[in-house]
Amino acid sequence: MSLRTLKIISILITVIGAAVIWSNGTFRQYGDQSGYQPLQPINFSHKVHAGDNSINCTYCHTSADTSRVAGIPTAENCMACHDQVKPDSPEIQKISMALKRNEPIRWVKVNDLPDHAIFNHSRHVNAGVNCNTCHGPVETMERISQESTFSMGSCVNCHRTHKDAVLDQDGNPIKILDSNKKTLKTSTDCAVCHH
Amino acid sequence: MNREKTWKQFLETDENGKPVGISRPINGFSRRSFLAALGYTAAGAALMSCRVPEQAVVPYLKKPAEVTPGMANWYASTCGGCNAGCGTLMKVRDGRPIKLEGNPDHPVSKGGLCSVAHSLVFGLFDPERLKGPTLDAKDTDWAAIDKEVIAKLADSKSAGKKVRVLTPRITSPTSRAVLRRFIGSYEDAKLVEYEPFGPAAIVHAHGISHSNKSLPTYDIEKAHIVVGFEADFLGTWISPVAFTKAYSSARELKNGSKEMLKHIQFESRISVTGANADYRHTASPKEQRLCLNYLLGKVSADHVADSLTIPEGLKKAVDEAAAELSKNKGSSLVVCGSGNPDVQLLVNAINNALENYGTTVVIPAASEEAEEALSFDDLVSEAESGDVGALFMVDVNPLYEAPDAARFNEAIKKIPLTVSMTSTGNETSAACKVVCAIPHHLESWDDSNVRTGVFSISQPAISPLYKTRHYQESFMRWMGEETEFYRELQRNWKETLFTKQDKFSDFNDFWDKSLHDGVFEESQSPATPASYSSDGLDNAVQKTVDTSKEGYSLVLYQKPGILDGRFANSPWLQELPDPISKVTWDNYALVSDETASALGVVEGDPIKITKGENSIEIPVLIQPGQANDCLSVAIGYGRTKAGNAGNDVGVNAAIFAEYGNGLRSFEIDGITVAKSTAAATQFAKMQIEPSAHERPLIKEYSLAAYKDGKVDIEETEFEKLFSEHEYPEHKWGMAVDLSACTGCNACVLSCQAENNIPVVGKDEVGLQRDMHWLRIDRYFDESADEPTTRFQPLPCMHCENASCEMVCPVLATVHSTEGLNMQVYNRCVGTRYCANNCAYKVRRFNWFEYPHDDPTANLALNPDVTVRSRGVMEKCTMCVQRIEEKKIVARNENREIKDGEIQTACQQSCPANAIEFGDTKNLKSRVVALKKSGRNYVLLEDLNTKPAVSYLAKITNSEDHGEEH
Repeated sequence: MSLRTLKIISILITVIGAAVIWSNGTFRQYGDQSGYQPLQPINFSHKVHAGDNSINCTYCHTSADTSRVAGIPTAENCMACHDQVKPDSPEIQKISMALKRNEPIRWVKVNDLPDHAIFNHSRHVNAGVNCNTCHGPVETMERISQESTFSMGSCVNCHRTHKDAVLDQDGNPIKILDSNKKTLKTSTDCAVCHH
Repeated sequence: MNREKTWKQFLETDENGKPVGISRPINGFSRRSFLAALGYTAAGAALMSCRVPEQAVVPYLKKPAEVTPGMANWYASTCGGCNAGCGTLMKVRDGRPIKLEGNPDHPVSKGGLCSVAHSLVFGLFDPERLKGPTLDAKDTDWAAIDKEVIAKLADSKSAGKKVRVLTPRITSPTSRAVLRRFIGSYEDAKLVEYEPFGPAAIVHAHGISHSNKSLPTYDIEKAHIVVGFEADFLGTWISPVAFTKAYSSARELKNGSKEMLKHIQFESRISVTGANADYRHTASPKEQRLCLNYLLGKVSADHVADSLTIPEGLKKAVDEAAAELSKNKGSSLVVCGSGNPDVQLLVNAINNALENYGTTVVIPAASEEAEEALSFDDLVSEAESGDVGALFMVDVNPLYEAPDAARFNEAIKKIPLTVSMTSTGNETSAACKVVCAIPHHLESWDDSNVRTGVFSISQPAISPLYKTRHYQESFMRWMGEETEFYRELQRNWKETLFTKQDKFSDFNDFWDKSLHDGVFEESQSPATPASYSSDGLDNAVQKTVDTSKEGYSLVLYQKPGILDGRFANSPWLQELPDPISKVTWDNYALVSDETASALGVVEGDPIKITKGENSIEIPVLIQPGQANDCLSVAIGYGRTKAGNAGNDVGVNAAIFAEYGNGLRSFEIDGITVAKSTAAATQFAKMQIEPSAHERPLIKEYSLAAYKDGKVDIEETEFEKLFSEHEYPEHKWGMAVDLSACTGCNACVLSCQAENNIPVVGKDEVGLQRDMHWLRIDRYFDESADEPTTRFQPLPCMHCENASCEMVCPVLATVHSTEGLNMQVYNRCVGTRYCANNCAYKVRRFNWFEYPHDDPTANLALNPDVTVRSRGVMEKCTMCVQRIEEKKIVARNENREIKDGEIQTACQQSCPANAIEFGDTKNLKSRVVALKKSGRNYVLLEDLNTKPAVSYLAKITNSEDHGEEH
């Protein structure tokens, strides 16, 4: 291989790489992972579960309204239905084998915040924030991908605009003008997320 | 200038003047072109790989019912740091214990916890712990160990040799039962209780005076006056947390109370206890013995002790103490920390004359030590004569601390089977044939008879990380029992304790309740006081009035934290400053100014201490309040096989502890001291200034002034230079009661564990780069004959007019809408302007990237708190993670935050209840009540920083502190 070919290959890699990264047309912020859609060990479809069969998010993500993390369903939780539903499917077999072998399933984390930012699911779910607000149209996704940028800006924007509001059933903000009434009181103090 | 030339002239050229590398292609490639190509590829690859590394999320297969991912569960247990048996609550999140806190419902510790307990989490994840059993220093499995031990035990039996089990003082009834069974299965087997620096002398003395060899319970709360002789009951003596709780409660002035416990202390060095006393008198051990004799003569008609030659000042002090004690018969208390049973006999006689038995001193009904006692020195001679066939050593380390360790080391070589049972490698386990790795306390089941009628349970917070086995289970295996120790514990509780209650008819309900509470309290009528006999008292008097001994005396003491050295490998404890000297990572010989000049030494100079064949070289530290001709040296240092952190820190002084009556004495007379020629030591001190230089940092009043209502510190109003902050919802504040704080350091370690505070090491502490977010300032006032010592815990003050906020060029430190001074790590660029401008010097800078690269040790980190990196400023956040957590809980439940719901880490386990935290906008909160009291003041008020942390002035129960100083 001559130097010329090598140069060309390197430049090609650079150009293609840049094209992939800037594919949505804007220069990305450092750390922006939106669109991240890794392969998962089990070919799980949110579309089938949350979309077609309209299963509530918290049926599987059980701690979303009680804990800081929403929780990934346990294998036992999956098999609660799949004992009956399609138990012979090769993907379901992976779960029953995991249970049989006592080897937990290693899912690939999609939505991830930096370690110095602390987010609490329960507060947001209980305040009436729709899961879709941050996670996008999960019920249409065959394979889950990261929809938001999860940048500080996107958090702070909401916290700035929802201070004197409450959320309706669909998660839309309603301004409260009466100062005696309870509002979301979303704070923009640094220490709310960074501690 | 030609640009090309400029850079080319730096390159090497060949004989033709051409730069080397460009003109010498290899395989059509020159070095430079290869690097260029590599650069392009790397840049391309870097652009492509702007992604975080793939991370796995691993859910449970089957989730335990009580676990919610991301939420902590709290389990009640008992601290295993020492024998005090304080109740703990273990915070377990996602399967790992991350913090220990005090159990407020525990009858002994009542929510307090000491620094040692906080360090246990670090010990659990210490990567240097033993990871499995070893046989002849080779890793093996338990089957091989069992085979070897059973075979050797059979050999020993057929050869008619002795079996010996060396243990510390065992407070666990179930473990004791297992050991008794094991011993019972051999003809000549005995238990040797060996806790060299425990209260053995007190137990021994009660065996003589009350025919009951057990440790009494001291009830400070019932007393109106406590007179202490060398007993550091607020620091290390018997059960410091319980004593501190009782002490602070008996001295509390919070609810308008006007009476407080009086405390007089006689001691040879300033201890935490002496520093808190209303009257403290410096007295060498020799003088203390005379004082006790004199006191006995004063309070008991049977003894006349006026002929003793005691220094005039001390005589007057004892007279005063005797008068106070006699006034409060039945509600007074005399305690003594001496390891000499004769001295303890005098104390028993005094307490008996003062009618304190049955009220402030309670002896348990049953004797603790039913077995025929065998002392450690008997064991050594038995081993030397080759009579011992098997020696089991449970969690003891005689090869480090025995005065004749070399002799014992030779002796155990004659024993065919030596078994060490320990969770961390130590000097003794290194010399043993078999090492049985036992689980860490946080992985173990156990119980503890903390005091009469109180049984406390220890439960594991995590499955054992390594191939370890409970020592009790090992003994059971060797007896042929196959049950787990957990089952044995249940069985023992069913047989012994279940029958003592009538609340539950089903054992499982009883067990669940006891396990949930962490403790079972037997309801029983108070034991009838054991009868006192003055046997041996005359002998004790004779021995203790002997003043003929010449030379210097040496007092061995324990530092709160390091204790007897068993936790020497905890860098948290090593970096915890001594409460009085503020020195870290070292021990030293404390000497008085006068003794130092007599010896011709200054601070840091080494001296040689010799007694018989033992000698050590140790640097001196000149300390006010130190008795003349008396040296005090902390034990627990100079470990050689503790691990990376603990090895070769300080000097081992435990070798001087003398035997007498099978007991070890910590006060050694007749030692010789000489200046040594070795190099001087520079101590790593966390506080350099000894005094407050007459600034009103600590305000102090006498009880008389408080009673007369003269304590009403006025707030100064300043011109408003700055626009005021608005606090729409909360304004967090703290009040620290200097009257309660004993300076014990528990809060410092609680903060360290909660907030992922790194350890910086001796050199960095020496450069004042320590990282503790909360420090305790100690000030001596040496103006009086007896120096006073005062403590002041100093977290970030969270000022309203914060000087740090004004100088930060990048807004990395800003004021929150809830009154907190926030530090934003990801904004901070490390100018350190803020730290320089902080009047209270509470800001800490990360000079280095403190290593967090051990996956096991990292498990001890609190996941709610960011780990800071190099170049970032940090400081106390008032546990904002706890505030946010409770705010979320309250909002989810659609209610207001209750007062007292949020507890900072320092406040939670304070054994003295000195710290109160709350919302100052809630006018009914306890913190507002304290801040409104006349004792409330803020530090450096004239700077108009308006701190959110305020102090309550100290009140002493003495007459001579009328003025503030």
